[in-house]
Amino acid sequence: MVQYQEIDRTFAALGDPTRRGVLERLGRGDATITELAEPFGISLTGMKKHVRLLEEAGLVTTEKVGRARMCSAGPRRLEDVQTWTQTYRQMLEQRLDRFGELLERTKGATQ
Amino acid sequence: MTNDQATRATVTTPSDREIRTERVFDAPRDRVWAVWTDPELIPEWYGSRDGETVVDKMDVRVGGDWRFVMREPDGSEAAFRGTYREITAPELIEQTFEWEGMPGHVCVERTEFEAIGDRTKVTTLTLFHTTEERDGMLGSGMEVGMNETYARLDELLARR
Repeated sequence: MVQYQEIDRTFAALGDPTRRGVLERLGRGDATITELAEPFGISLTGMKKHVRLLEEAGLVTTEKVGRARMCSAGPRRLEDVQTWTQTYRQMLEQRLDRFGELLERTKGATQ
Repeated sequence: MTNDQATRATVTTPSDREIRTERVFDAPRDRVWAVWTDPELIPEWYGSRDGETVVDKMDVRVGGDWRFVMREPDGSEAAFRGTYREITAPELIEQTFEWEGMPGHVCVERTEFEAIGDRTKVTTLTLFHTTEERDGMLGSGMEVGMNETYARLDELLARR
């Protein structure tokens, strides 16, 4: 299901301290990949990968400016309570689905 | 499955910071409770299908903590934690829920288990604390602090 992939992407994007740091940094203003990579002491390739994951989750947008790639905070904000409640709701539905499947699967075994 | 109700969750939003889900499971209440509260079975249902859920802590008693870590296939992790606030087997569990990726946004999940013959209705009401509310608490706390400071300053000035 598409919606499940979306939640997984959001959590995956934020399940890393570097990526959370990138979001925090972009909250203060736009930055290039090079500017983002420097304080974390990681390679440009490494930072590009982090930014791509954040971009896929809609948390960051990027734009090519000359030879550099400028990054900005994306349309989805984590602080946005609606984004969070929506994600939570999808997670809860997924949880209940899987719980029902487990009950079906173990029927008779644990009665 | 004969009844459609058993396979679909009903989701309603009583207010903009509440989510209520209701679902009927085709299993007796004692069994639903036993599966729901078994740490060994959490990896089987709690997290996403593709990922892996590791139970770090699950102390199912009032005041007990829980913490689950979900690992996705790409190696990233998301951790969730909380505390059990109320437990009445096999009827009710109230616990806090917090995603470590967004600390401070604590939800309260209240799950009720209702026996309907050999089936069980599971209702979860989740209450979200809004940023405004949290800021409000912070504001009033600061106000009290400031008033105390002023009162002490008044006392000090009166003594001189």
